[in-house]
Amino acid sequence: MATKITRRSWAEPYKMKMVELLKTTSRAQRIKAIREAGFNTFLLRSEDVYIDLLTDSGTNSMSDRQWSAFMLGDEAYAGSQSYYKLEDAIHKYYGYKYVIPTHQGRGAENILSQIMIKKGQYVPGNMYFTTTRVHQELAGGIFVDVIIEEAHDPNNLHPFKGNVDLQKLENLVKIHGAEKIAYLTLASNVNMAGGQPFSMENLKAVRDFTKKHGIPIIHDMTRVAENAYFIQQREPGYQEKSIREIVREICDHTDGATMSAKKDALVNIGGFMATNDPQVFEEARNLVVVYEGLHTYGGLAGRDMEAMAVGIKESLDDRHQHARVGQVLYLGEKMQEYGIPIVKPVGGHGIFVDARAFLPQLSQDQFPAQTLAAEIYMDSGVRTMERGIVSAGRNAKGENYYPKLELVRFTIPRRVYTQAHMDVVAESAALVYERRKKIRGLRMVYEPKYLRFFQARFEQL
Amino acid sequence: MDEKIKTLAEPFRIKMVEPIRMTTRAYREEALLQAGYNPFLLVSDDVFIDLLTDSGTGAMSQSQWAGMMMGDESYAGARSWIKLEQVVRELTGMPHVLPTHQGRAAERILYGLLGGTDRIFLSNTHFDTTRANIEFTGATALDLMPEEALDPETWMPFKGNIDLDKLETQLAHYGSERVAAVILTVTNNSSGGQPVSMANARAVRALCDRYGVMMVIDGCRIAENAYFIRMREDGFQDKSYHDIAREMLELGDAFIMSAKKDGMVNMGGLLCMKDKELSVKCINQLIISEGFATYGGLSGRDMEAMAIGLQEVFDPDYLHYRIRSTAYLGEKLREKGIPVIWPIGGHAVYIDAKKLFPAIPVDQYPGQVLVCELYKIGGIRCVEVGSMMFGKYDEQGKLIPASQELVRLAIPRRVYTQSHIDFVLEVFDFILELRDRKSGYRITYEPAFLRHFTARLEPHPGGG
Repeated sequence: MATKITRRSWAEPYKMKMVELLKTTSRAQRIKAIREAGFNTFLLRSEDVYIDLLTDSGTNSMSDRQWSAFMLGDEAYAGSQSYYKLEDAIHKYYGYKYVIPTHQGRGAENILSQIMIKKGQYVPGNMYFTTTRVHQELAGGIFVDVIIEEAHDPNNLHPFKGNVDLQKLENLVKIHGAEKIAYLTLASNVNMAGGQPFSMENLKAVRDFTKKHGIPIIHDMTRVAENAYFIQQREPGYQEKSIREIVREICDHTDGATMSAKKDALVNIGGFMATNDPQVFEEARNLVVVYEGLHTYGGLAGRDMEAMAVGIKESLDDRHQHARVGQVLYLGEKMQEYGIPIVKPVGGHGIFVDARAFLPQLSQDQFPAQTLAAEIYMDSGVRTMERGIVSAGRNAKGENYYPKLELVRFTIPRRVYTQAHMDVVAESAALVYERRKKIRGLRMVYEPKYLRFFQARFEQL
Repeated sequence: MDEKIKTLAEPFRIKMVEPIRMTTRAYREEALLQAGYNPFLLVSDDVFIDLLTDSGTGAMSQSQWAGMMMGDESYAGARSWIKLEQVVRELTGMPHVLPTHQGRAAERILYGLLGGTDRIFLSNTHFDTTRANIEFTGATALDLMPEEALDPETWMPFKGNIDLDKLETQLAHYGSERVAAVILTVTNNSSGGQPVSMANARAVRALCDRYGVMMVIDGCRIAENAYFIRMREDGFQDKSYHDIAREMLELGDAFIMSAKKDGMVNMGGLLCMKDKELSVKCINQLIISEGFATYGGLSGRDMEAMAIGLQEVFDPDYLHYRIRSTAYLGEKLREKGIPVIWPIGGHAVYIDAKKLFPAIPVDQYPGQVLVCELYKIGGIRCVEVGSMMFGKYDEQGKLIPASQELVRLAIPRRVYTQSHIDFVLEVFDFILELRDRKSGYRITYEPAFLRHFTARLEPHPGGG
């Protein structure tokens, strides 16, 4: 008897216009490659990787409209037309008054931290992110995690794990006083928690509180459209609103932002700092020439600013976000069907596999996530990223942070891979899962001082 | 027998054009007022011929654009990176190559590590971002040009050379405990795009060896420099430009480059070195501020374009065209009686604005007057390289002027044609009529660092 149709499939709202050929490797080649890379997927050559899920940062595919805007790049050093187009797009869709382009997110984080943090001040935020925290600390700030506890539990199904815990924030203000707090950094779709959104309700409550105490909110808006998608899907009262409206509403509750445009804004390079404060803007304009470039290009080619302006617009299209997050959810569902432990609910930019649950025989000092990433690569040539103890780094005293979340992130670039690629990925994870009990851990043999996950090297135990 | 045709035509034809706009004088006067009489603050659309800088304003070739389409945007270990690394290793002879988004990022990483409050940097001339990066660390930057080189009119084959006697004196005085590095800027931008000879570079190497000090070559215009060496220095007539460049770069301990000049790209920078330990420290800084070690804040496509550009720039037909077309502007201006730095440099023509406008006091920025008049009359944008850029203040707040009041007309690579340059020449006929000007501008707003980029001015009330 024929199968009954029980669901109506949907497919991506785009077709391929240009392809990039991928190389396939043998298992023997991959074992050699990962050994040479010190069992760190960061150190693999791209040509030895089949499906590259290391990061969604700058790995997106641009649309034909972006490529055509690209050809219109104005490469003038000062007053480039492309800069004004970018500025217009940010005004129109995000609402911030003043814009300083930077070559990427950490460029903006650097400038903003230097301007807004005085030595010894606290910077609360909804979970740390690697480059954000480093720049805050270099500027003399002390990061304090004020995310809700549920965010640290991979199995908790809270729909808005990116929320700020108001009690934690209040306690911080009570103990140190509002003047000791530089600003609250609020990330949309918290990366290290598994791409988890905050709710509009939480944002409004946080805004009320911070306004009362004169604490600015700086929005790390790298994945704001994905966050808006989850608000649209999950938050009562927002089902009829467009992504565009929700994004604007989020931004309107904040005082400034940093963005890596290499994620949601669909470009391969680019970022910016934005503020509504003319004093901050003035200082940023002077600081950007030291680090990045003149304030009308900030270390970006004119063509890249053009592509960013178009990408910002495209990112706010409902069908685009539906397809984008839909692909991530598809992979998550497939992994769960195979019994693989992942962070739930599934986030916006990737599947975060719970390496602690995957490899319970390993202690965190044996780097379970790093181990799992290497195993997946050896099995299928799929590259993933460690997001556990290695990424968390060491504190000021030199002691290891032991994060509750020991994760391997399968990060999905936007508009690059197909459903068939996702099937290959899920199957590889399932095969490694079947033989998980036999997997040994790693020891770290080389450790750089800052952001060690990028370059650390390991050996098998 | 081949006819000896004297006209030099470009060794390429146009494949893509970008329209530019001619505006009225009234429009431009208003635009300039709105921009605070600072050309950095004009919008590009209001400029007809943009000679502000040769940095990142060049046209890429069809091969570079083809390379752009092949960009591997992987975060780690991209093919485009591997290609670039290979090309740069062959050019510099240095094993450790770090990509950066542009030159000042490379400067900040290296000089940030080498600098500090009691440190000294010695150079032929430090350019604006180099000086700013060094002073930002609290260190001191000393320029060591020979006296003759400061005379704008003397023809010298290698006017960019560092003064070896002055260098030795400083090295002997401060020693390796205090001298962080000797930076040889090639070609020397601030003294008129002037070349540095191989003999001078070798002598610097010998002095650095003797005193145990690091030698850094800032090679933004290394190919243009190679052209001058081949033309003017004995023993190089039969060497390729690439080999001449390599021979010079190998002398250094480290190499810094903004690829936006001789790299023939719109964005990109390089930091290279021989010492592994130093490279590890630099990579750690690179990752914090730029990006991962295999992209350094650049897209894969830009690394492809850079790799190709670094090869194209050494083509003999290209270099001949490049140097000669810059010289064309300079020689013709000189014929008109405009005081220019002589000989003409590789990438730009430098005009002595103090000589052009002898009645304008230095603290009213005669260079800025020329810049503004060129824009008002012809929609031409250029830049002041005098007291506006390099001036400082003493304790009483009085201006300590720069050693020269120059205006630079920088020629973007492969962008403008001879008719554009002839247009510029004609505008100078009108400039000559203004030689009796008595007053200039005063600054109404300036930031603490690199003021020329964002300062605002107004006409000095002196009138005339």
